[in-house]
Amino acid sequence: MHLIHQPLVRVAAATLAALLLTLAAAMAGPVGQLVITDARGDRGMLAPYIHGKNGIGYLYTTYVFDSLLSQKKDGDVTPALAKRWTISRNGLVCDIYIDLRAHWHDGEPVTAEDAAFTFSYMQEHPYVFADVRNVKEAKVLSHDHLRLQLKKPDAGLLTGMLLSMPVLPKHVYADIVEPQRFAEPEAVIGSGPYKLADYNKAQGRYVLEANADYYLGAPKFKRIAIVKMATDAALRAAKADEIDIISYLPPERLEQAKESGLNVVKAFSNHSVRLGFNHSGRFGSKDLRHAIAYAINRPALISTVYQETADVADTGFFQEASPWHSDDVHPSYAFSPRKAADLLTAKGWSRAEDQLWYMDGEQVVLRVLASKRETKAAKVLAEQLETFGIKLDVRILERAALQDSLSEGNYDLALYASSTLGDPNGILRRVFGKKWASDGYSGKKLRALADAQSVATSRQQRQDILNKFQEVYSQELPAYAIANPYMVTAYNDKLSSLKFMPGGVAIGVPSALHKSYLVD
Amino acid sequence: MQWQQVWRGEGELMLGYWSPITQSAGFVSKGALAASVILMMAGFTLSESLPAYKTSPDVLHPPSAEYWLGTNGIGQDVFIGLVRAAPVTIFLALVTATAALVLALAASSLAAFGGPAVRGAVLRVVDVLQVIPSILLLLLLAAWIQPGFLGLVVLLALTGWHEDVRVALPILLRELTRENVHFARRMGASRTYCLRHHILPAIWPAIVGLFLQNVRQAALKSAGFGFLGLTDPRLLTWGSMMQDAMEHLYTDAWAWLLLPPAGALSLFLIGILIIGEGYSQSGGLTGKEQYDPG
Repeated sequence: MHLIHQPLVRVAAATLAALLLTLAAAMAGPVGQLVITDARGDRGMLAPYIHGKNGIGYLYTTYVFDSLLSQKKDGDVTPALAKRWTISRNGLVCDIYIDLRAHWHDGEPVTAEDAAFTFSYMQEHPYVFADVRNVKEAKVLSHDHLRLQLKKPDAGLLTGMLLSMPVLPKHVYADIVEPQRFAEPEAVIGSGPYKLADYNKAQGRYVLEANADYYLGAPKFKRIAIVKMATDAALRAAKADEIDIISYLPPERLEQAKESGLNVVKAFSNHSVRLGFNHSGRFGSKDLRHAIAYAINRPALISTVYQETADVADTGFFQEASPWHSDDVHPSYAFSPRKAADLLTAKGWSRAEDQLWYMDGEQVVLRVLASKRETKAAKVLAEQLETFGIKLDVRILERAALQDSLSEGNYDLALYASSTLGDPNGILRRVFGKKWASDGYSGKKLRALADAQSVATSRQQRQDILNKFQEVYSQELPAYAIANPYMVTAYNDKLSSLKFMPGGVAIGVPSALHKSYLVD
Repeated sequence: MQWQQVWRGEGELMLGYWSPITQSAGFVSKGALAASVILMMAGFTLSESLPAYKTSPDVLHPPSAEYWLGTNGIGQDVFIGLVRAAPVTIFLALVTATAALVLALAASSLAAFGGPAVRGAVLRVVDVLQVIPSILLLLLLAAWIQPGFLGLVVLLALTGWHEDVRVALPILLRELTRENVHFARRMGASRTYCLRHHILPAIWPAIVGLFLQNVRQAALKSAGFGFLGLTDPRLLTWGSMMQDAMEHLYTDAWAWLLLPPAGALSLFLIGILIIGEGYSQSGGLTGKEQYDPG
């Protein structure tokens, strides 16, 4: 009895009780915390030069770094760090007025100096998701007034560069010579609605804290945690209210998520799965590309690999949900072994008695590369082409190995997926680029159209050129679009009516987690 | 290392368990050996006449009259897959396991007989191989070469032998220094005689254990090769079927996707155990003059 009267024991008991209470509160989840799960986890530190070189890494970084422009929930551009802007009649001068309410996470004000600095810094240190080469000069006219001089008009100035380019704090980055190696805590000083409070690379875990004096409104959550969690674990955790969002739920698990009490939003990703060709190898020939296209049965492939979770893709690059999709009907290369055989024969291939294809007396064996995510599609595709008589050697490679094999030209066909969303200037990277998941095409006719649309002076003119682009793309077939898979995001009642951003987030990330949903 | 010892312990337990059956019936082992060879040969010859392992929109179909063991994630018939994978798996596993074991025994013998300097050298090589994860080595190789089926066997053997040395060497050293060996040598027995009549019988259970472990590793490791770009992901083995089953663990499909290949692999391992045990008990090792301490 007298034991509890000892002061030390009483203090200890009180501490224990307090601890238990805190623990209970923590387990119940403090109001104002949002937990997002990501099946893959680590996307790099959330600063422009060091985040993972993919859409998700970019998306998370937009929570920390604001751009000059942002998007409304319907996809249209809206002011962000730039409160207003004007573009000269010849399209070569753009005046930008900075929103002086904006502050960096360390309290310094955001000024026109910072924006001007970002343009020149990115000239020197190219940032993969914002191409600023067209900027001739970024001149600071006053504290809040910046004048951009362009080399040539840019039809995608607003929806491309100004929307995608994260503005960097001059006082932090001015002295940084190698931004790719700059991973100090200061590297993540942005002006976005959330600050990066903690990042654990090994666990793939991020903790973001609200930027209380965010200039565009109050952040909706005190804390956002992004955690690595496999889908099964995430669904269980959602049932127990431990997590709030499953960022990319495999579409076939949609019903299961609904049973767990989650809301789901489902949309075409427009992140199309494409069969690319090695244009510097034998597939420099359009007829051979067409032959392969005719030998593939896309509806059959989709019904085996994707079932209800994808649709046959449009062959003209842009997919149906894209604001730039043309209304014309593009050739669908409906499965026709006969047409394929005719095209091959015309190109000097011959089919031997074993029903296999030969070229100059040698059996044709095509090397197909695919990333792990496309394994199933690669298997079915291989079966279809082998049934047609073309032998295949399929390789599933890691990203780095893929990049290597690709740059060595060590392949014939490649199966990859990449977004078709964002400003149409993305085609310069996605169709003519040299990186993995780009079509690696260099046809002059198509390139001329891609360049012409980028300097179009009106939206209508741009649309007309892009319609033509899609027509030519579907005929030239730099890559054969196979499937347009659905994407699903599951979320609980802490958020309401999420939608996949029409046209994609900024650079074209298919996502329902645009930062506008995270700010009041 | 620890799991290896635990595993080996299990192996010996199993050996003990099978002993009563096999002791009296060496023919069981010969039967099992013949059966697996016949199965393999028949598999290779029959594989052309078997129905094709085709994909279909009928994915994840539970076992039925049409699909005896159901279908997988891209509509392939699991039963056909199981049969088609048998010869490849058995061949791959047996050849690789043998190659790795031979390499390991050669290295162990070299270390045991070669004096301290050679032993030190061999052990350091083993150390290095154990420290470097074999996956890293394989990724590196994958970047350089594109091995075919035979290349795969070589790669599996080369990345599998070093772990066996750690187990084989101490046992070999222990047996070499035993009194019976010394005694036999004094009595004029040749090295070969000692090896055949004293050393091999003593280390045989461990060899069978190691072989079994190699077989299991070869079967499972080869499955991962498809995802390193080392082989065509369509190379069908029981291991690759098990790996494919992993992504369906959350549905009922795991039962018909995972259990059949896992069962087949287990049966195969038990078969090898019987063969190994039976061979030793039937006197194949020591001839008629086998000395029975019991």
